[in-house]
Amino acid sequence: MKVMVTGASTPLGLAIVEHLLALPDVSFVLAVGKDRRPVGLVDTGRLRYLAVDLSHARVAHDLVWGDARLHLINTVIHAAQHRGAHDTGRGVHLQNVESTRALLAACEDHPSIRRFLLRSFAEVYATPHTTTQLLVEDDPLELSPGAPQWVRDRVEADFTACAHVGGTLKVAVLRLAELVAPDSGSQLWDYLGSRVCLRPLGYDPMINVLSLEDAAEAFRAAAQSTAIGPFNIPGADTLPLTRAIEESQRFSIPVPGPLMSPMYRLRRRVAGFDFRYDMNFARFHFGGVLDGTRAREQLGYAPRHPVHWPHPWWRELLDRLAADRATVDGARH
Amino acid sequence: MAVTGAFHDAGYGFDVFGLSPPIVRRAAALGAPLYERYFRVDSRGAEHIPLEGPAIIVANHGGVLPVDAAMLCLDVLRNTPRIPRAIADHFVPRLPLVSALFARLGVVSGTAANVRRLLEDGELVAIWPEGVAGPAKRFGLRYELQRWRVGFAEHAIRHRVPIIPAAIVGAEESWPLALRLPLRVFGSPYLPVPMSPLPLPARYFIRYGPPIVGEPTQVYRDAEDPSAVAALAERARLAVAHLMSQTLAERHGVFR
Repeated sequence: MKVMVTGASTPLGLAIVEHLLALPDVSFVLAVGKDRRPVGLVDTGRLRYLAVDLSHARVAHDLVWGDARLHLINTVIHAAQHRGAHDTGRGVHLQNVESTRALLAACEDHPSIRRFLLRSFAEVYATPHTTTQLLVEDDPLELSPGAPQWVRDRVEADFTACAHVGGTLKVAVLRLAELVAPDSGSQLWDYLGSRVCLRPLGYDPMINVLSLEDAAEAFRAAAQSTAIGPFNIPGADTLPLTRAIEESQRFSIPVPGPLMSPMYRLRRRVAGFDFRYDMNFARFHFGGVLDGTRAREQLGYAPRHPVHWPHPWWRELLDRLAADRATVDGARH
Repeated sequence: MAVTGAFHDAGYGFDVFGLSPPIVRRAAALGAPLYERYFRVDSRGAEHIPLEGPAIIVANHGGVLPVDAAMLCLDVLRNTPRIPRAIADHFVPRLPLVSALFARLGVVSGTAANVRRLLEDGELVAIWPEGVAGPAKRFGLRYELQRWRVGFAEHAIRHRVPIIPAAIVGAEESWPLALRLPLRVFGSPYLPVPMSPLPLPARYFIRYGPPIVGEPTQVYRDAEDPSAVAALAERARLAVAHLMSQTLAERHGVFR
């Protein structure tokens, strides 16, 4: 299997690349990122890194028909999306949606590419009161005009890929539960990064979160399968929001719902965080856990790795010291 | 009281819907005086509830707030080792405080995906097929079954699970509805105004009937057949109506 991975300079892209390189049946990985080469990603006989800005359709086309054709790539994993929730505008849209459209169009009649996997998001689902608790692939998507661009772009990219399902290219859309990891655009990571977490009074929804290891494993399973269509990819951790706050060792303060948005806007202005309460309103009130039955049955994916919660700096330091001591002790024995 | 039935821990002591057995145990202990002394629940037929495996309890619905549902759940908890998974209307998860509490007690929003998952997990599901129409009816219509939804029968055929009919008598007189205010607070269809500020101590009678199973020849695809679904739902409705009229005839008075 020869795989091209876009978004390779992000934590998820890196995890996918490392996961694929560990597989004996993956003979080559073409890692594509917008930024310069990440530390630790060294070109070898099995890996090549390219810095490419996919927001230009011509560049995307040339990548697929140039380097990808040269290396006989047969599977494309498109995981490059803009991460900042507050960033808007045409440039962001180009990166989120038009790059997907351009890549799909270029892959359709490609001589070697047969498989296309899109990284999508649990946030594409509309979570009104009628679809709470367990979200299946058939549930309605968020199409309200008031939705933030971050969500609208992801829904459009998801739709664009789903429109290609059934053609010669085997397209699968992996709707990932929220990745709780730094620098991955995780709203929850940002939310839990604060010492005090405000939560809506009277609600304690169930949330499901995904680790990088399980996300990479889901892409591996999908790449080795021929199943097409959308797949929910839940994580191994399903817990109430209050428990997630507790796990991250933060203080939780219940606040009347209407005050949440202004308070988090103020926090963003003062401290510069990326968390948007308006984007997480439905999730923080009604929850929504992805049902991974389809992925389990058709891709053979089952989450196994719990997430690493964002702990306070002193706790991270203590954990690191303990890990170092364990390594030294292990070496001594 | 063992409330450790088919609990599927999602990793932190809760299942995917938010159920927490320790909270159920605490709530059952707190509700015991209501069950034993205030409503003096008289329960018969709990032996019809399977001790394991998926099953659906269907019951009549009445009274301003779902006190009847709470009593039925308490009754199941006291008479079987199972935690009943009550199916609530879609607006319930929108209600502040109630949504969080109900989720911990095992209440689940009535979507097809949720019910399917519960039955696949081997849970005991409790459904009130009248929905809001039951509690919303006039006092004069008490113990008259309202429009009977059929979704539960579809699930019963699809997953080949038994339906246990149940009748709850006492709820209609305990807390009758006086008025429905057309206020859609948090998505609720109306704001109920009860005749009394608190439920009256009417005696509750809960009766379970023998399990109803679909035709032995029915297969998975028959769940798509509207006539097969309607027929099974009607059998369950008649069984509940029969149990209800039998219990009403046996009863010596509302408060006795």
